[in-house]
Amino acid sequence: MPKQINVALIGNPNTGKTSVFNHLTGLNQQVGNYPGITVEKKEGICKLPRGLKAHIIDLPGTYSLNASSLDENLVIELLLNKNDKDYPDVAVVVSDVENLKRNLLLFTQIKDLGIPTILAVNMADRMERKGISLEIELLEKRLKTKIALVSARKKTGIENLKELITQYGTISTEPCVNSSSIDPTYFDRLRKAFPNQSLYKLWLVITQDVNFGNLNRNKIEHTNGFSPKKKSDLKRLQQKETIVRYQFINGILKEAMTVDVNAAKDLRSRLDRILTHKIWGYVIFFSIMLLIFQAIYDWSSYPMDFIDNTFASLSEWIKTSLPPGVFTNLISEGIIPGLGGIVIFIPQIAFLFFFISLLEESGYMSRVVFLMDRIMRRFGLSGKSVVPLVSGTACAIPAVMATRNIEDWKERLITILVVPFTTCSARLPVYLIIIALVIPDERFLGVFNLQGITLMLLYLLGFGMSVFSAWILNKILKIKSKTYFVIEMPDYKLPMLKNVGINVVEKTKSFVFGAGKIILAISIILWVLASYGPTDDFDNAEEIVTERYGENLAPKDFENQVASVKLENSYIGLMGKGIEPIVQPLGYDWKIGIAIVSSFAAREVFVGTLATIYSVGSGEEKTIKNRMAAEVNPILGGPLFNFASGISLLLFYAFAMQCMSTLAIVKKETNSWKWPILQLVIMTGIAYVAALAAFQFLK
Amino acid sequence: MIQEILVWTTFLIAVGFLIKKFFWKSPKKATQGETSICGKSDCGCH
Repeated sequence: MPKQINVALIGNPNTGKTSVFNHLTGLNQQVGNYPGITVEKKEGICKLPRGLKAHIIDLPGTYSLNASSLDENLVIELLLNKNDKDYPDVAVVVSDVENLKRNLLLFTQIKDLGIPTILAVNMADRMERKGISLEIELLEKRLKTKIALVSARKKTGIENLKELITQYGTISTEPCVNSSSIDPTYFDRLRKAFPNQSLYKLWLVITQDVNFGNLNRNKIEHTNGFSPKKKSDLKRLQQKETIVRYQFINGILKEAMTVDVNAAKDLRSRLDRILTHKIWGYVIFFSIMLLIFQAIYDWSSYPMDFIDNTFASLSEWIKTSLPPGVFTNLISEGIIPGLGGIVIFIPQIAFLFFFISLLEESGYMSRVVFLMDRIMRRFGLSGKSVVPLVSGTACAIPAVMATRNIEDWKERLITILVVPFTTCSARLPVYLIIIALVIPDERFLGVFNLQGITLMLLYLLGFGMSVFSAWILNKILKIKSKTYFVIEMPDYKLPMLKNVGINVVEKTKSFVFGAGKIILAISIILWVLASYGPTDDFDNAEEIVTERYGENLAPKDFENQVASVKLENSYIGLMGKGIEPIVQPLGYDWKIGIAIVSSFAAREVFVGTLATIYSVGSGEEKTIKNRMAAEVNPILGGPLFNFASGISLLLFYAFAMQCMSTLAIVKKETNSWKWPILQLVIMTGIAYVAALAAFQFLK
Repeated sequence: MIQEILVWTTFLIAVGFLIKKFFWKSPKKATQGETSICGKSDCGCH
């Protein structure tokens, strides 16, 4: 027996597969992408009894091996290809005790591939409450497998599951359904043409258009002695196969499973009636959102102030501890403030994802998708577009990729084009700092924090804009389409804090490390560009200040003026002055202009850029927020960040396509530069006009 | 002098990192893109 085995964790969506994976692997897990495609791949190591180790792969959730999306295709390709390094020695099909009938369809299909397959019946703790009883021995006999009753929530049955995985060699690989009975003559011909191949694998290759080894549909159908079937006939046979499987499943569940309806206490239906109500559903949803945004502001202000002050002190400490010189300045004025500009937002981002994870884990998010479907249909989209739009609140890149689940091309294209309007986490730092500067920290009706309300309005604005744009695109794009939407409502459950915690850590980590590296690099470049200049005025800053103000300036003021003249004549200052005429009508100075240009790489760079530029510009204020608050508008006088310029900036960032990576992924997904370029031009145009109108109206 | 060298080295590393991140497409990745499951994604293929 090898020391390490491959275990594939497979199951329908919402069966608690990821919770089982988390219990098996603990923190020994990695998240990556499958080679060549950007579908998330979760894998981890699990220690099994008797010194055995399992390499566990959490495969994307799928209802059957009849693939309709890229994620499902991937599951099939892995299970077919024995040469794949991840090909499982044993498969664990995680099923939900309340939906066993539907879950067993996938189980019987995997079993037919000849892979030792264990059935893990999850949520076993609910059996009593739902009046369900199972005859495990009988089920094991009929399904020719081993069954583990598991409750990921109560952490029960996991050790038993590990034990069964260890004994994978003893599990029968015999199929439990005779799929060739759907057309014996056809399968007989198939068997004769390919005597050395697994019959069910061949059937999947023919019907699913997937490849394994050097076999593909074309090759099979053009093999001598084998006459292929028409596509419509194959579809009919697939339906027949599903019916045969369900007949088998119904038969065994009739014998081995009983449900006492009287014993069940159905809270779910009562909750659903309220939470998906056509009026109360929306009221409750918006109240929850309001509460979340209030909490984000109220709870995270203390850790944020702490981080801001810590970075200011660290910068000061480095300046005084290291030998004086340009490199010390680079660290204290460029790198540390730049990094501070990202770390400061960790508390708010962690709180946001904490709440979103709670909603997802509890089963409420599916109700939100269902609610939104009603609205989306009026604008030419279906609920399927809601999933990318909701995941767009984290990041537009996975959201654009999530559109792969949308079968209809027109609907998919529209969703791809409007997703970048939803408020992603990269916009959050910009919103948070600007809101803190221009919206008073006061209560509305004595309860609601005005800053929290503004943040919520910005989220609604992003969502509203994406829906409105979808409506316009639906009218403009002349592509025929027909679509439907089916969503499974998982049961309500108490969120598992372990899953919530892992999700928060993963999301925060990817925000800090993904954006952090870019911000660090841009901070370094900006500092160099702000600390060196091409003209004599840069080198003669002291003389210019003396000439301008005489000898009367206090040493501190003299230093500040010199730093200011140097900054204006530095490379970045000259570039900023070059673009100033474009941004001035929006109420911005050249420094904000530079921050907007540099944040084209990623929106969150905006705050880091300003932190670096203002740091080089010196000044008494040490924290990022105070430095920004102290900036004076060079033309109009008064604070640079006032209500008018602040709202203008918020609107600019709400609408502008400030993300290179999103453009790249849109190009990849649409296979054309036409759509990302259109997106960039139109979104930037809308952002500019909205920001201009806001400033001119409010100033 | 040493500090100047360190600054410019750091600057070049930062520029190199951004070029690699946003503009450099490794030949390996380029090939993988062509052979994705979706094929040359048109990509209303499923």
